[in-house]
Amino acid sequence: MEDSKKLKGKDLINIGIFAAIYFVVIMALAMLGFIPIFMPTYSVLMPLFGGIVFMLFLTKVKKFGMVWIMTIIMGILMWLTGMSYYALVIGIVTGLIAELILKKGEYKSVKCAVLSHAVFCFWIVSNYIPLFFFADKYWSTRQNFGQEYIDALTRMFPKWMFPVHIVLCFGFGIVGGLLGHKILKKHFEKAGIV
Amino acid sequence: MEVLCSDKKKSLLDPRTKLLLLIFVSVFVIGNAGGDAAAEFRVILNYTPLLFLLCARRWRAFLFGVIFYTFAYAFAVLLMPHCKGFLNFLILAMTGIVLRFLPGILTGMYVVSTTTVSEFICAMERIHVPQTITIPLSVMFRFFPTVAEEAGSINKAMSMRDIKFGGKKALQMIEYRLIPMMTCSVKIGQELSAASLTRGLGGPGKRTNICKIGFGFCDILVFLGLGAGLAFSILRACGVL
Repeated sequence: MEDSKKLKGKDLINIGIFAAIYFVVIMALAMLGFIPIFMPTYSVLMPLFGGIVFMLFLTKVKKFGMVWIMTIIMGILMWLTGMSYYALVIGIVTGLIAELILKKGEYKSVKCAVLSHAVFCFWIVSNYIPLFFFADKYWSTRQNFGQEYIDALTRMFPKWMFPVHIVLCFGFGIVGGLLGHKILKKHFEKAGIV
Repeated sequence: MEVLCSDKKKSLLDPRTKLLLLIFVSVFVIGNAGGDAAAEFRVILNYTPLLFLLCARRWRAFLFGVIFYTFAYAFAVLLMPHCKGFLNFLILAMTGIVLRFLPGILTGMYVVSTTTVSEFICAMERIHVPQTITIPLSVMFRFFPTVAEEAGSINKAMSMRDIKFGGKKALQMIEYRLIPMMTCSVKIGQELSAASLTRGLGGPGKRTNICKIGFGFCDILVFLGLGAGLAFSILRACGVL
């Protein structure tokens, strides 16, 4: 990237490893979505558990671009697993913002790291966009899920809920970041990983 | 298929063709692009991964696919008319989700199990994807099975201590399952990164590759098939056909 400290092979491998761990955690949570009531809880659960992985990831981040690339990879994966391309488009922007916040703390400040995680989490909310704003189109292509599943979900996603989800996601992004930081201190420092 | 497999290439298709196939399946089947206009195309795409899995002699994945398809259809056709209310809703949602995601999962299994990491990197270099994206992606795909394996072993160990779903200490699952999984994965990751650095990944020079990839007869067939399907769907959508 433009920075004088260019990303080396080791950093790229680190991104890959943490993207794999993060994605496994996210997918495990996403499986809950088969039961409609869990679908709106993504914006709470994913930042909360993802925060643990992300904070551990940040201890390996010392150069510009790593968080950004991570967001882009998440976006690509979401697109390939059929969520929609919004996560990729929005992730490119929010990932950059998260990266800049982190850079402002010079990759050391815990406050900036927590805030960066909260911004990073926007890619989770962006998966909801078609559900909220293009609900008819979204469900017209998903008729085989069954009318009752669709009804149950449409009730849970009125348009005014979208800002609520953004706030929830941001809030729990911060909580998740703090939780991750706490666990980092309790477990990973003892194990000599950090 | 023996005849079609040349000696030089290990797998039937070029990695780039496989990726194109994966993108088509995820856009048209999982993403359900095109709606009704692409219905026939979608049915063909549903079964393409099965054919390729068979050609690549991945018997287990092939059987897995066949069994799931059969069950999903059997449920939908035989059981659904007799069920009402919540049960009907459950079965419908389950079969709908299985039928939607299975082709994607099968194609993914085919792509991952028949492409080596060097083939993947070689193909990505040919289509000029920057290294900053290819290396994390290839490490990730290499790493998924490891994470799954570690998580499985930890789950077994922890269920002995009654830390499992429905166990007495279910709440401790996060601390005693997620965190050891991460610790193991990070440790393995460090070893992996040391190993790949020794082999010159991410070095300053231009990487060479002994993998011979290139488009063959089958690739052309797949391209023609996908192109024809796409053209057909577009024409249908525009109302020409």
